[in-house]
Parts: sequence; structure tokens; C-alpha cells
Amino acid sequence: MSQEPDLLTRRHFLRTSILGAALSWTVPIFVERTFSLLNAEAAEITTQIATGKDHPILVVLQLAGGNDGLNALVPFADDLYYRARPTINIPRDKVLSLDGYVGFNPRMAPLKNLFDQGKLAVIQGVGYPNPNRSHFRSTEIWQTASDADKYLKTGWIGRYFDNCCNGEDPTVGVTIGSQLPQTFTAEKNTGIAMTPGGRLGFGKEADASEQQVFNELNGITQDHDLSSGASIGSLDGPSEPKLSAIEYLQRTALDAQVGTDKIGAILKRTKPEAVYPKTPLGNELSLIARLISGGLPTRVYYTSQGGYDTHNAQENSHNNLLGQLADALSAFSTDLSSKGIWDRVLVMTFSEFGRRVSENASKGTDHGTAAPMFICGGNVKPGLYGNHPSLSTLDQGDLIHTVDFRDVYSTVLNRWMKAPAAKILGRDFNALSFV
Amino acid sequence: MKLEQTKPAGSRNSSMLSQLPKEKWTYDTAAHLAARAGFGESPSRLEQWTQQGMEATIQQLLHPDNDTTPPPNSMVPDQFAELREQVRDATSPDQKKEARRALRQATNQQLYHLINWWTRRMLTTPAPLVEKMTLFWHGHFATSALKVRSPYKLWQQNETFRHDALGNFGTLTKAISRDPAMMVYLDLQTSRSEHPNENFARELMELFTLGEGNYSEHDIKESARAFTGYRIDRFEEFRFVSNQFDGGAKTFLQQTGNWNGDQIIDIILKQPAAAKFISNKLWNFFAYEDPDSQLIDKLAELFLQNYEIRPLLETIFSSEEFYSQRARNAIVKSPVQYVVESGRTLGVNLPGGRTLFAVYQRLGQVPFYPPNVKGWEGGKSWINTATLTFRYQLARQLVLGIRLVNEQPAKEPLPSPTAQSSPLAQASPAAQTTPMTQTASLTTQNAVRLPALQVDQLVTAEDRKDPEATIRKIYARAFQTTPDPQLFDRILDVAKLKPLPLADDAIRDLVALMMMTPNYQVC
Repeated sequence: MSQEPDLLTRRHFLRTSILGAALSWTVPIFVERTFSLLNAEAAEITTQIATGKDHPILVVLQLAGGNDGLNALVPFADDLYYRARPTINIPRDKVLSLDGYVGFNPRMAPLKNLFDQGKLAVIQGVGYPNPNRSHFRSTEIWQTASDADKYLKTGWIGRYFDNCCNGEDPTVGVTIGSQLPQTFTAEKNTGIAMTPGGRLGFGKEADASEQQVFNELNGITQDHDLSSGASIGSLDGPSEPKLSAIEYLQRTALDAQVGTDKIGAILKRTKPEAVYPKTPLGNELSLIARLISGGLPTRVYYTSQGGYDTHNAQENSHNNLLGQLADALSAFSTDLSSKGIWDRVLVMTFSEFGRRVSENASKGTDHGTAAPMFICGGNVKPGLYGNHPSLSTLDQGDLIHTVDFRDVYSTVLNRWMKAPAAKILGRDFNALSFV
Repeated sequence: MKLEQTKPAGSRNSSMLSQLPKEKWTYDTAAHLAARAGFGESPSRLEQWTQQGMEATIQQLLHPDNDTTPPPNSMVPDQFAELREQVRDATSPDQKKEARRALRQATNQQLYHLINWWTRRMLTTPAPLVEKMTLFWHGHFATSALKVRSPYKLWQQNETFRHDALGNFGTLTKAISRDPAMMVYLDLQTSRSEHPNENFARELMELFTLGEGNYSEHDIKESARAFTGYRIDRFEEFRFVSNQFDGGAKTFLQQTGNWNGDQIIDIILKQPAAAKFISNKLWNFFAYEDPDSQLIDKLAELFLQNYEIRPLLETIFSSEEFYSQRARNAIVKSPVQYVVESGRTLGVNLPGGRTLFAVYQRLGQVPFYPPNVKGWEGGKSWINTATLTFRYQLARQLVLGIRLVNEQPAKEPLPSPTAQSSPLAQASPAAQTTPMTQTASLTTQNAVRLPALQVDQLVTAEDRKDPEATIRKIYARAFQTTPDPQLFDRILDVAKLKPLPLADDAIRDLVALMMMTPNYQVC
């Protein structure tokens, strides 16, 4: 409502007249970043200022719990698969063949369509050396892009924010859900977490004076008057100042209000242009599509689909999950295509690990290692990438990965996000050609 | 200067951690202690603490009256045996699915019950420091119901934390090494002499005692051999099975012997690194982050003597540093602190059952569900845009009574079935514990309307005629300190706009306003 013009003015102002302004402690984090950046003469060439309309967008979709890759991308031409899984295999005649050796679970028919339309790439056998089979630890490894024996504090997307998105809006990263994933953990901007319907404010019934005092106490002012007062000389470079707990809270409150006001405005003027399945993932992808089409300057969206930890009687539950995934992605693709922005979006799935080759005694599968990743988008170079892991040469009953997950990250960063992957990931990784 | 010269050599830090002088003990220091060593207190209790002095107050916290809270209802070993049998004996996939659903539901109900029980205990306890330390040890020896799935084991572990909360760290660590919930969580009960599982041994050193960098991979392998033969019997009790135990010689931290698990812990605790690790973690939890290393060295020196927790806490709570400006308002309240303190000091009613679980989940901390074996990261990580927004929405709902009114315009439904704007209605407690196929269960069945805050417990009829008297009363409860003039005046401005005498809802609005400030999120 009345928020939007203010925001536009503020954004405009940020780009044009920020130098020489004063830094007050009520300035939101992203404003200060812009500040620091310009003060440092924006020398860093890796920094890209978002224009909000044309930059590439990444959607990271976590399949939480450890997706059973062998029942999603089925090596149906290999008898070893059927021998290892006498009761929970996908029958050969039901598999949707991709290349005569592997094919999709039949519930993934919508993804087969995307594959046939040239909008989907499948990376086979993705994992990492010395795989860890703990959900927590392996998720952490995938989220921080560390080696299996190293612990990193920041997430790989967080490091992308730190390296490439200094001074940007807090909505540069948006997580759908109430907790920020470790993927977004950053030294500086961590993005925002949102749950639909959440809005920061004193409440609807509040009268103007209550709302005003609420804003004041939370350090929220409508005009961050940066143009008056002292110089910014005291600010040295883009380093994070030590915020007190209360200052940190004030800034988060401001980020929340800026973010939720913008999102609220976007939701008012956008609508889905496809029929999404009535599942949490369908709802979340529908929301993401609206935020993208509404011009939120977000570079990376993050959401997750849970339930993949299929130790017991997995047949129905796993098939259902794959069906929900395929249906939701298919609707997302249709929606963004009609909105004319599918070319700007890349969706990447990941799961902390695949599952063991052999089924267990409870008609399920236990924690394993390598699994496929699915990459889709209007600009994807379709096809199968990497080699399918051997079913005969195993490491203690587990697949040996053929592609390091950081090869995929590196490719996404370098080729899609135009970001310095080696700097973000700590070293060079192999490039794939799916984008 | 003169004093310094008379000090013996080597005590150049002896001014550190010196006792707070008597004249510096005030209502505000008492309130600071109440929030940190517990969950806040009523103004009259704080007045009493101010009068009786610091030493008496700390002694009272360290040696509290017995908490007579009865144990949680119907918490017995192996209580879902029958349901598990039904899963095992199911003859068709549908039957199995149904049996599994019943088991999951019964387990979840009992876990909600346990969370509720502990929350109420923290709310009413006469031994707040015991409960606070129980919470600390729960985050330290983190164990999650997500994997353990036994309410009984988790309750037993909670009682172990409570029993040794202020006792001896060595005793507690040994008790935890044979605690069935921990044994399930870190796979100790499957560790055999032929195949020792290294999970527990690794975390014991990395997270529970020494911290990274103070042991080698070899030490992990060797000590894992000492923690073999630990089993859980069908009554969910620890049992040692000697023929699964590796009694051979082990070289651990340069010492060779036929060590068993307890001896490994004894060797660990001889390392100064262990005393330092725990002292540092306690200081960070109770006082402020990133203390000077000299201060920690000094605490660790004391702790290393015998690993008694009481003297360590006594030193912390008596020290000038603990009451310094650096420590004041420096800690972001954890979700548990936020919820319990709101109940304890302001008297808001708390929801129970699955609603309470959902509240904790959206705040970012569910007791008995730490995110991983490292526990909760805490500090500023409690706060992000989503959790802060939720804290503010929750504040309103707790004060006004939880409602299921959809505040979103009815014609603009948000794209999620979980998007009712009442935060309590949209929580998804099932998301973590049940497969996504269960999303139909995102109902509001437990989000019944709670009674609104009883304003009469906060202010008198006389107070209501005077905005300043009213604000003074509720401010003292919400912020636990003497008023900060700026904050006080802004809230008073709002109060002055309301008709006198102040009506219940007007006062509730003012309480909510106080809770919806950065200041309320810290202690």
C-alpha cells in the first residue's frame, strides 16, 4: 500500500545519492552494505548490483531424508538392480526409459515430459569422497560444500551472497520456511526466511500511534535519512560491525518489515498461471513463481520437501514423494513459461545421500551414498550427465559416486550465476555442461 | 596500586572474577541474575533478593527447595510394545500402514506431553537454576526425539540432567555415556568389540568434553573400543554385556591400559582442555559471548580441581564481570526462555499439547528436538526475519488469548494450506516427524482458544486510573529492571491516549507492545 512508493524511493535513493550520508544504527543491514561497498569504491568486480529484472535465479530444492536414487532413476537394464531389490524394485516394463539403461520411476512422468521437452538435466551418481551416512552431518556437508572431514561455518550460497551480493536487499536470498538453512549461513547477508502470512507489525487493530511507537521501538523508520549528518569516514570497508544484541534485533525487524511489505505487495498483484498440486511443495513453488514474476530481487530461493528417509515399506511413500515432486515441478515450469520467465530460472534438487543398493528386511532402504540430482529450467542443456555408478563394484554395499556434488555447484555458480566458483568453493572443480 | 604490589607473583589476573562489591548489588543486578540463572521472577521476589543480598540469593539458587512437580503421567518403559507388535504382526500393507500410523501418533502424543510437562515445571519451579542447567545440559549432551522415539528414555535422560545439574561434571558425563537415550542417539548400543562404533567416542571428545583439536583420530578409535558392551534391556535400562566388551589394551591420549569407558572419561577430565571447554561454554551461556581467554583460564583452573559445578557457577554469578555492562541485555532469549519467562513473569497462559510443540517449532527450539548432536547454536541465530515475526505475532496471541481468526483478507487466500495467519494455526508440527504424505494432518485441533492474560494479577483498580502507575507495574514484570526512561516514556505515551480507567484490553495492548520490542527479546 503506502509502503511501496517509500521503498521505491529508497531504492532509487540508494543507487543515486548514497555517498556522503550518515550511518545511523537504525539503517538496515542491506543499506549499510551498499554504503560500505560504495565507500570501498565498489572495486570488487565480482559484485553485481541486482537490477531486479534480468538476473539469473536459482531455486534450490532439498529432498530431505536421503532420496532413494535407484528407485527414482532406475537402472532397469541391470539385473543386479533387480537382484538387490527383490520386493521394492520398479518393474522393468513400468520404467520410463531415458537412454535404454536408466529411466524414471513411473510417478515421475511429468519430469519425463520436461526431459523430452529439453528442460531437464539429470546428473547421475552425485556424491563425495568418504561419504558420511548421518543425516545431520551429510546435510551439513552438502549445505556448506565442505570436504567430508572439514567443518565450514558458512553455507555455499551464503558465501555466494558474501562474495557477490554485497549491499543488496535482504531478499537476495529467500527461504520458504521458518528456519534459514545452513546453505544460506553467511558472514554478512543471510537472506530472509518467510512463512506465508507472516507480517511484521503491531497488528491490524492497532491505531496509528501504537504502530508508530512499535516502529520506533523496533528501529523502523520510514525514511532512513542518510543524507544528513556526518561523513561515512568511520566506516572501513565491507566488514561486519559488531552489533549488540538489540541492534541486531532492530535490524532484523527492519529487514523483516521491508521484506514482508514487498512480498505482501507482490502477492497482491500476482497469481499462479498453472494448476499446482495441493501439496506443500506445490504451494511453495507457486509462491516462489509469484515472487519471481513480481520482481523481487532474489537471486536464490530455497525450499525443501521432506519424508525421503524411507527405511520401512518404502514403495508407496517413496513413489508418492516422487509423484509430488514431479507434479509440482511440472506446474512450476508451466507457470513460469506462461509468465515468460522460465528462461531465467534454474531449479536444482539435492539430497543428503542416496540409499543402499540392497533393500533391507523391512522393505525399505537404509542410508547410502550417491544419488542423482535433477536440474530443470528454460535454459538447461538437457540430457543425462555423469556415469551411472556401477552396481557390481560397490563400497561396503554402497554406490561409488561418479560426480562430486561440488562439480555441480561449481557449474551452477560459474555458468549460471556468473559467480567466481573457485573462490566460493575454495578450489576448482570440474565443469559440467548442463548450462 | 598498593594492593597490586602485595599480590604474589603469577596472579596478575587476580582482579578478574573478583566478587561484586556489596554496594553494587541492586534490584537490577538481582533481576539480571534472575533472568540468567533462571527464567525471571516477580517484582516482589526480586525485591526480596535485593534485600537479602547477593550471597544469600546465590546460595538459594545453588541449594534450592525441592521441586515437588510430580513425574509426567503414564511414563513407563516400553509403553508402546503392543503397538509395535501390531506393526510387526500386520498381515497386509494397509494394516501395517495403519499400525505404523497408530504407533507414530501415540509416540508423538506422549512426546508432546513430555514437552508440556517440562515447560510447566520450568514455569513454576522453586529451583530455577536447576531447570536452567537441565536445559543447558540438554543442549550440551544433545539428544533428539526424532531419532530416539522413546518418550520414556528421553524423560529418564531429562531426570539425569536434573539430578546432576549442579553436581559433578564427571559423574554426569559417565551417567550420559550409559544413558539409553544417548546410546540410541549415537548408536552406542550397537557397538561390539569386533566392530566398535565410533560415533559416541567422537562426539564425547569433540562436543561433550575436549573440543576439536585436542585429540587424534587414533584416540577416537581406541576409546571407541572402551565403550563396547553397552546395551539397553527391554525395560529401557542400561545393561553391560561383558562378552561384547573389548577388554584389551588401548593407548588413549598417550596412556596405555585396559581402559573401560569410565576410565576413558577420567583420562579426558585430567586434560585442562576439558575444564576450559566446559567453563567457556558455561560463561557464554550465562554471561556473554567471546570472553577474554584469561577469564576462562581462571575459571578452568578452578573447575579442573574436581569438576564440581556448584563452585564454578558460584564464581560466575558472584563476579563483577557477570554484572558488567558488557553482560547486560547481551543475550538473546532462547525460545524456551521466551516462552517460560513470559508465563513466569507476565502470567500469560501457555498452550499445551501439539500447539506448544508447534509454537516452539516456529520459534526455532523444540525441547527434546535439538537440530543435531551439536545442540542449538543459540545467540543471534535464534533471530531471523521469520522467527522474529513469529515472536511478535505470538506475543499478541498469548496476551489476547489464542484465536483462530483469519486475519488475512478472506478473498486473498495465500497459496498454502498452512497460511492461516494465526501463527498457531499454521504451524506444522508433523513436518519433521512424519512423512510429507501426512500433510493433511496440518489441522488446528489443539489450537483451542486460550484465556487472555488476566490483567488483575498485574495491576490494581487504583493503578488503572493512572497510566504511569500501570506502566510501571507491567514494565517491571516485562523487562525485569528499573525503567529505561526512553523506553518507558514511549510506552507511557501510548497509555496516555487510552481512556481511563484503563480497560483490560487496553492494558493487554500495552503488554503486547512491550513484548514486541527488541528489548523484550534479550536478557
